[in-house]
Amino acid sequence: MINKIFLKELKDTLRDRRTLMTMIVIPLLIFPIILNVFTGVSESFQQEAASKTLNIAVIGNGSDSYFAKQLEKVPNVQGDKQLVYMADTVGLKNLIKKDSIQLAVEAPLDFEKAPKNGEMKTIKLYFNATDLGYKERAEYYMEAIKAEVKGERLDDLQISATSVDPVNIDYVNIASTKEVLGKLVGGVLPYLFIAFGFIGCMYPAIDLFTGEKERGTIETLLTTPVARYKILIGKMGVVVLSGLAASTFALVGLYLSFEVFDMAEDPRIIEVVHSILSPGFIAMLYVLLIPLTIFFAGVMIPICVYAKSFKEAQSIITPLNIVIVLPAMVGFFPGIELDYTTAMIPVVNVVLATKELIAGTLDPVLLALSFGVMLTLAAIAVGVSYKQFDKEGNVVL
Amino acid sequence: MIKVEQLSKEFVLTRKLKKELNTTEDKAVAVKNVSFTCEPGKIFSLLGPNGAGKTTTMRMLSTIYKPSSGSIEIGGVDAVAHPQEARKKIGFLTGSTGLYARLTPNELIKYFADLYQVEKHDFEKRKKYLYDLMDMHEFQNKRIGKLSTGMKQKVSIARTMIHDPEIVVFDEPTSGLDVITAENIITLIRNCKEEGKTVIFSSHIMSEVDLLCDDLAIIHKGGLLYQGSMADFKANMEAPNITAEFIRIVNQTKTQHND
Repeated sequence: MINKIFLKELKDTLRDRRTLMTMIVIPLLIFPIILNVFTGVSESFQQEAASKTLNIAVIGNGSDSYFAKQLEKVPNVQGDKQLVYMADTVGLKNLIKKDSIQLAVEAPLDFEKAPKNGEMKTIKLYFNATDLGYKERAEYYMEAIKAEVKGERLDDLQISATSVDPVNIDYVNIASTKEVLGKLVGGVLPYLFIAFGFIGCMYPAIDLFTGEKERGTIETLLTTPVARYKILIGKMGVVVLSGLAASTFALVGLYLSFEVFDMAEDPRIIEVVHSILSPGFIAMLYVLLIPLTIFFAGVMIPICVYAKSFKEAQSIITPLNIVIVLPAMVGFFPGIELDYTTAMIPVVNVVLATKELIAGTLDPVLLALSFGVMLTLAAIAVGVSYKQFDKEGNVVL
Repeated sequence: MIKVEQLSKEFVLTRKLKKELNTTEDKAVAVKNVSFTCEPGKIFSLLGPNGAGKTTTMRMLSTIYKPSSGSIEIGGVDAVAHPQEARKKIGFLTGSTGLYARLTPNELIKYFADLYQVEKHDFEKRKKYLYDLMDMHEFQNKRIGKLSTGMKQKVSIARTMIHDPEIVVFDEPTSGLDVITAENIITLIRNCKEEGKTVIFSSHIMSEVDLLCDDLAIIHKGGLLYQGSMADFKANMEAPNITAEFIRIVNQTKTQHND
């Protein structure tokens, strides 16, 4: 009997446009859209940053000064530069704010003595931190001048560079690209899967419980000789399936973006995505997503059973979306890892476990613990749903 | 047969409901010590003004609500102790049409037949009978959401009757329908009687009550004001017609309450 209810509710749900949008269309398009916008914006930003000619104000020193010549000598590897000479800093802030000048450097007038007299000279650099990328270019110019002057001083003192720098550090990264990318960006993917799992459950839950109450159909269903728990499980099955379908379509969207539309060029990212799209990874992901989605359904159903109208249910569940899905954002922060404490925190454990899964560093014990925690919560949520659904005052208006 | 004895229903009032009803009481009594019997092959009418307790009584008969006290026997089954068994014997037509707008009549009727575990052969026979009787063939594959009120009510009745129940509960079955559709439904109720089914129905249309019912009960403020046969009701009327008599009985109670 549960399967009859499940199939009927599934048919009914698949004929609801709003559910189809949140369950299939939006999750399917989200990755292609995000990647398209992201790559488009980042490419245009990079192109703009590379082609932008920086107007650099040189304060005090004239064009034939030692400092100006040093600055002029620095190769234009990060875009062209145009030197502008100013006597002092009057009006400088305004010029930088208006973006007429992007950087300004103020070096002592006796800067040319720097290589020889053993003193330390200070260069003052003016920039606007809200303009991204300029400070990095300024640092590049200053490092180049510093290296040049330092080289001249060492020549003058007849000292080799190695005798001044006795230590050379060679950094050896033992983490694979997959691990690095997994830990850095791996949090974004589970966040999207979880967010869609929640949204995917939302409309069917409201429609199949509050909606039935509002339309009066639940009353006719309750007069049939079918046990209430069977009705609940049949309906809940569709809510859970819708949540899982939304997450699955997000995964399909990811596949289409990389395998069909070729939206990424970086081979490292493609390697990570290939490992995500492997059967092993998908199976492990579902081990985590299934209890999580049952938990979501179990949280929503009592609310939907209690609510008297579609609007009321929506107004309670929408803020809940933030409360439940917000912990999923911890995945964005590097440094927070899956351990025996975080494995006990619902939603957070799924995000961190997925992140470790992407990086290929997931401890099976912690996976089992996360699964156990989510399964327990899902069972409690189902129990609460049944209790609410069994209350006659909740079910009939 | 339906046998109801000392049936009562109290609802616990939440803070929100207390505010809405402007009361400090913790409970509200919807039905109080109601007893009546509906015989097979007879049509029993439950009458009462709005808010009298008719729908609550019918919901208890159909086991949606559990009584606070009293007993209900449905076709020999104790409906309070074994609600699921009792439901197999009942066909309940709710006050609202209660249909799934995104399904077609065929899909809906099949779904309910499955829930009542109707055999395939019986289902086809029964479906044909109901579709012929209510002239439903033309719209059987259209989405219910696109049907007219009359068509929807026909679907609703077909859903109620598909498992050939021995007891039929109709809550205002002809409410809001055109004359032709209402007439079809009245014919169907009469057929139920001829087939020996126990029929209980509520209505606000007194002419319909006069036309159909064998026995009646008048309920007001949760209590039973009158119970007996239609023939006795008519014979002992103090008012010139049954509508006036119904009003007189209800008003009499109001006056007694005010006194």
